[in-house]
Amino acid sequence: MKKIAIISFAVIALAALLPSCTPAEPSADAMYVNESQVASIIADGKLFDLNEFKDSFMTDTGNFCGPQLYRTRAHVGGMDYLLFSINTLPTDGDGIYVRGRISTDDYGGNFYKSMVIQQRMPDGTQQNLRISIDMGSCNGLYQMGQEVIIRCNGLALGRYANQAQLCVPSYNNNTLANKAEEKSGWAPGRIPGPMFRNACTLIGTPDVSKLLYDTITIADFKDKTDQDAFRDYCVYEDARLVVLKNVHFTGQYENNGSLKSCNVYDPNASDKTIGDPSKDEYANVFAPTTNNMNFPQGRVISDGTDNTIVSTSEYAKYANFYLPADTFIGEVRGILGFYEDNGKNVDQYGIDQYNWSITPRGLQVLDTKAVNDILYDTNWEPQEWSKEPAEEAADEEGGSKSK
Amino acid sequence: MRKTLLTVMLCGAAIFATAQTSLKGILLDEATNQPIVGATITLANQNISTTTNQSGEFSLLYLEAMDEEVIVEAQGYNGTIELVSLQNGQTNQMDPIKLSTDLATETKEEILLNIADDDLNDDEGKSQSQASASSASVDVFNSTISYAWSTARYRNRGYGQDQETVYINGLNFNTAERGTFSFSSMGGLNDASRYKEVTLPMEATNFTFGGLGQSTNYLMNASRYAQGWKVSAAGTNRNYKAAVRATYASGPLANGWSFIGQIAFRFSPYCKQIGIIGEGIEYYSLGYFFSAEKVWDNGNRLNITTFGAPTMRGQNGAVTQEVYDLTGTNYYNPYWGYQDGKMRNSRIVKSLDPTLVLNYDLNINDVNKMKFAAGYHYSMYSNSAINFFNAPDPRPDYYRNMPSFLWDGQIVNSNSEQLFDEKGNHYPYGLFIGESLNEVPLGTGFTGNDGQILGPSIDPHTYNTLVDAWKKRDSKTTQINWDALYAANHANNINDPEGMARYMVERRHNDIQEAGANVLWVNTQFDHLKMTLGAEGKFSQGIHYKTMDDLLGGNQWIDIDPFADRDIKELATNIGLPQTAMAIIKQNDLVNPSAKVLTGDRFGYDYRINIGTAKLWFQNEWNLQDIDVYYAIQATYTSMQRTTNMLNGRAWYQEMMLAQGMGDPADQGKFLGSVDVFNRINDGTITAGTYAGAQHHFIDPAFKAGFNYKINGRNRLKFNALAETQSPLARNAYISQRVHDRAVDNIYVHDNAKSLKDYFAASEKVVGGDLTYEFNYPIVRGRLTAYYTRFWNGTELNAFYDDEARTFVNQAITGIDKRHGGVEAAVAVKLGTYFTLTGVAAIGDYRYKSNAYAVTSAENGMALANDIKGNPVLETRDTVMLNGLRIASGPQLNASLKLSFFHPKMWFADVTVSYYDWNFMSVAPSRRMKGLYTSVRADGTEVNGGYFDAIDGKPAYEMDNMGNPILDKYGNYQLIYPYYLMDQQESLSATNPLNRFMIDFSVGKLIYLKNRQSLSINLSVSNIGHNTNFKTGGYQQARLPRQSVQGAKDGENSRIGANAWKFQSKYYYAWGPNLYATITYKF
Repeated sequence: MKKIAIISFAVIALAALLPSCTPAEPSADAMYVNESQVASIIADGKLFDLNEFKDSFMTDTGNFCGPQLYRTRAHVGGMDYLLFSINTLPTDGDGIYVRGRISTDDYGGNFYKSMVIQQRMPDGTQQNLRISIDMGSCNGLYQMGQEVIIRCNGLALGRYANQAQLCVPSYNNNTLANKAEEKSGWAPGRIPGPMFRNACTLIGTPDVSKLLYDTITIADFKDKTDQDAFRDYCVYEDARLVVLKNVHFTGQYENNGSLKSCNVYDPNASDKTIGDPSKDEYANVFAPTTNNMNFPQGRVISDGTDNTIVSTSEYAKYANFYLPADTFIGEVRGILGFYEDNGKNVDQYGIDQYNWSITPRGLQVLDTKAVNDILYDTNWEPQEWSKEPAEEAADEEGGSKSK
Repeated sequence: MRKTLLTVMLCGAAIFATAQTSLKGILLDEATNQPIVGATITLANQNISTTTNQSGEFSLLYLEAMDEEVIVEAQGYNGTIELVSLQNGQTNQMDPIKLSTDLATETKEEILLNIADDDLNDDEGKSQSQASASSASVDVFNSTISYAWSTARYRNRGYGQDQETVYINGLNFNTAERGTFSFSSMGGLNDASRYKEVTLPMEATNFTFGGLGQSTNYLMNASRYAQGWKVSAAGTNRNYKAAVRATYASGPLANGWSFIGQIAFRFSPYCKQIGIIGEGIEYYSLGYFFSAEKVWDNGNRLNITTFGAPTMRGQNGAVTQEVYDLTGTNYYNPYWGYQDGKMRNSRIVKSLDPTLVLNYDLNINDVNKMKFAAGYHYSMYSNSAINFFNAPDPRPDYYRNMPSFLWDGQIVNSNSEQLFDEKGNHYPYGLFIGESLNEVPLGTGFTGNDGQILGPSIDPHTYNTLVDAWKKRDSKTTQINWDALYAANHANNINDPEGMARYMVERRHNDIQEAGANVLWVNTQFDHLKMTLGAEGKFSQGIHYKTMDDLLGGNQWIDIDPFADRDIKELATNIGLPQTAMAIIKQNDLVNPSAKVLTGDRFGYDYRINIGTAKLWFQNEWNLQDIDVYYAIQATYTSMQRTTNMLNGRAWYQEMMLAQGMGDPADQGKFLGSVDVFNRINDGTITAGTYAGAQHHFIDPAFKAGFNYKINGRNRLKFNALAETQSPLARNAYISQRVHDRAVDNIYVHDNAKSLKDYFAASEKVVGGDLTYEFNYPIVRGRLTAYYTRFWNGTELNAFYDDEARTFVNQAITGIDKRHGGVEAAVAVKLGTYFTLTGVAAIGDYRYKSNAYAVTSAENGMALANDIKGNPVLETRDTVMLNGLRIASGPQLNASLKLSFFHPKMWFADVTVSYYDWNFMSVAPSRRMKGLYTSVRADGTEVNGGYFDAIDGKPAYEMDNMGNPILDKYGNYQLIYPYYLMDQQESLSATNPLNRFMIDFSVGKLIYLKNRQSLSINLSVSNIGHNTNFKTGGYQQARLPRQSVQGAKDGENSRIGANAWKFQSKYYYAWGPNLYATITYKF
């Protein structure tokens, strides 16, 4: 009896498995689908081209609520155009799918809770769709160059400041916002993170080399005055990934339709706030303070054909870097957009020409993680604003010398 | 109660010159006939007692001849009272007294050890809810409540675990860093923890000075254990599902040696089923215990004991009420997910604490005895967790992933003021205003009924989609999606092959090694006086570091701090330097910057806390006819020093700010340990090595005294009083010990003391006393105790994310004053032969007695405010409104009624009904800073948005007609709804009184087999009443909901929003019915 008890115990104790070691990596199938599996994913519905998707589901008046309830509209050519609207997509029924490659990155700080997917068409053109997601650092899961397929049922297609985006309906109730009385109302809102993760499937691994950059001139997009083109742009042309060549920064900012020179910091001036980006919103850096207004700042570039704006958020990592001198001429890349949110007196949108902007994904200033979109092909060395004269060579390892 | 016939043996020749009356006997285990050691034998009418020796024998001398009742009490056994007629001038020899095993105790002891395991739920081993001391004793109160109240996480008199002292074979095992003992080191070894001496709070002990709380000395010497084998198997539905044990004890052998060994194995593989206890948890623990003892004829003894329990187990975590309600289960575990279809938990604890204790007892002569003890243990304790960089938070229950996040304060605008669900909990979600908004005119902004700020509202379809995903337990929504984390790293390997992985699993190690020794000298040369002199010394080293556990497919991690990386721009702007000059700030190891971290590498931090302790104590106990009196004095020396193998960039930044003239120049050198280290970093001559910080030394006195007045043999009155100072524990001494050497302010005041007041500036002062009436009759016994304790000048540390500053902050709170007072009552009544009815109650009132003082600083050195001149302020100082709040340490009102059944045919059963109330959650001090109410902190800096301007610029608290705030009797502001939900102390007690009851049941049978073998079968069921609304613990989140005011100037651009439910409190619930079934075979 004793022996049986002892042996039984020993067997049980040893038979119970030892604690598991580090689990094995998941198979590729668990992490993403491959091209051959896409057909089965869309079998319950249809895969739309991005422009076709917008054509099919985005109406001029939206379908979520009465058109009079959306904020802000433009009066163009004697007619009202909604700058904000929402079309909800059916939850049930046939599957509604779109597909594209992510062309934006948020590490640089210029894209926040949003991304753009790009579809490369057989004729070499690109179609694009903005996506608004309530997920900080969303590019961590959806990295630039990653192709995705999204099941859009139950989501919405919205128009925000005349930019189409995949979204959900949200009631803007920010009574503390500037001009809250005009803005409170239904508008496209961010898709909750868990909902988007369920809707979005990765296809393979990322390949940034497959992104298409359209080389265009500023005149190419500025020179559009037709009001129908105004609508067409929203559906067909927004969020293009472009390259502008022969660009230089003029050292100006856009001031309600006119251009003014940025303020340069002079340490010897009596008013030391001028040109200090933490205090002067027109300082000669990419994005100085907005005094808690939190809008992206525009800095003028010219490519010899026309001017437009490089748009930078004050939270971007390169926000406090000096603009390059106008002697540096090179290429600027980014997402091209026309952001029209106040709609006043827009008889032809060309008047509000500084609603056009190019939003770079980033500038490599501190490390190589950010995408390098500004004058990357010149020998311009970005320099950050500092109270101290830039004499000390500050390196990552040693830090600056103390006083 | 039985009467036994006595045999009185007349001695032929008197041994002593004068004939005296004495009583002798022997106490044996009924089942095994082994001697019972250490039992208490008391003569009811003569105020005299003794304990049984190693052979189970006892003798009492110089007695009066009379009819006497002999009260026999032994731990682990059912006591008895024997009647004796003492014959004058003779040695009265009793028949052997046999005691039966207290089966209930055996079963419940194991459950208690399990609870201690479950409580270690975060990486610092700090209990979210704390087990009561695992120490039953023969005291009616203690023996009942140890088991019955452990579910509710009752804490003895509301004290922290550091007030209870734990010894093993006479050597102290409270770790010096935290002051607590980790019961998981004895994982499953119920024989190791079987025998113990327990001293009630403040009473005189014979192994240590003791303290406020209970003192327990686990006795693991081999000769104590009955000879034989014991094997057992247990099944349970708790965190582990099965356990097997085997013990062999040799009993005392002819050559004086004894041996005992035990192995215990507890395990549970991952259970596929969800919604059960232990969801997502795998559990493996192997415990070993071995002791060898040699006893010489002269009574000297040498003992060597070793034990340990390598353990690997997954963890669970507290979640918000919303998560419990959506998942429909109290067992939801946010820490697991599927990886390629298999369950995986992100929080795996690995622990092993091999321990060795050597003892030598020396009988110098009849009146002088010495005990020597020396020991060493190395506790390896680590916990894993997911970390991430430049990627979304992977936690499924992250507040932004919850449905409640989708409407920001909308509930305030609903038609009812407050909604409650069927459980009586706040129900802030499930109602929103979306549908009715379709007809609201453009430009309508909604505010609360009293003007409170609300945020955006989502549409019903979106909300319901997310709710449905939670209710259906869609694992991609409700659990960690491991496959997505690997995919993110694979993608990153392509786009940034030399860069940092997006996700990884790190392992946070909090090891401790301790070596200690003590000497005890007991002298009884004087009649009625026992003198004890003790000296204890311990060297303790806490070893803290992180290792890379699993890169989740990533190429490498880079050793920088992700939050500092995120905040670098703001830090640079703070002081007008470029970010490149600040890049150093994100380094965790300045000698090895941006190091590549691969699996198994150390990174992040690597520091030690070295603590040396020495105690000298002296105790005199007078045992007189009617009264025992004692006093004791102790002096404790403590030294504390932090050393680090990684110099941190944030520490450098703090020194740099000081060098630039920001802050108090006297603080220079406090962060890196010395200004010299700072200079060497700057000139690039710093090298790898161990860098020592400042050493802090403390001497703390303690004094206690008391008496035990024997009204008669059955009734006693006891009084104890204690006064002492306690130097701060290491875990409360350093503001941010992972990052720098800076200690709490008052420690520096102590270090540079020029007066006695300054010298004790950092120590907590304690004064306490208790008065007990005890009674012991054949049919009824018990006690009634009243106690009162005051604490002054305690210290606590907190760390949290500050939404106003948008960065992590550390907060050191000092000047904490507390008052613990209450009564304890216990009565055990024998009802006939088989039944006993026991009632126990503990009613207390534990509160903070004053406000405290907080110093808050950003971990990355960011300025938290500006002074009047606009200069950045790195450390803000403010009052914390704690006065009058209750201390969060378990229920303060506890009552139980237990009916026990015991049949001579060795059946036992008991049912216990317990009631708990006055159970409060800890309050987040960040929500009760005075500046939030008054707009100005104690240091004069202004607060950017608080309760003072939450409602459209006006205060969110009650005011009188003159515009003055209405304060309660403790001086606290009265916030109006819903803001009072943010700063109020929450009760953990269920709203419905029926849900404050817990019913437990156990039954067991002992079967005697031939050849002294036995089989015992036990079943214990806790919460047989299926109470799923019983919160056992929780905490209030430190973050406050905030809204930015667009266009306002800096310092005025933040407001507290009305969404009191944005950062909901997190709770732990008691498990539903959970059982423990054991079968034990002894042979």
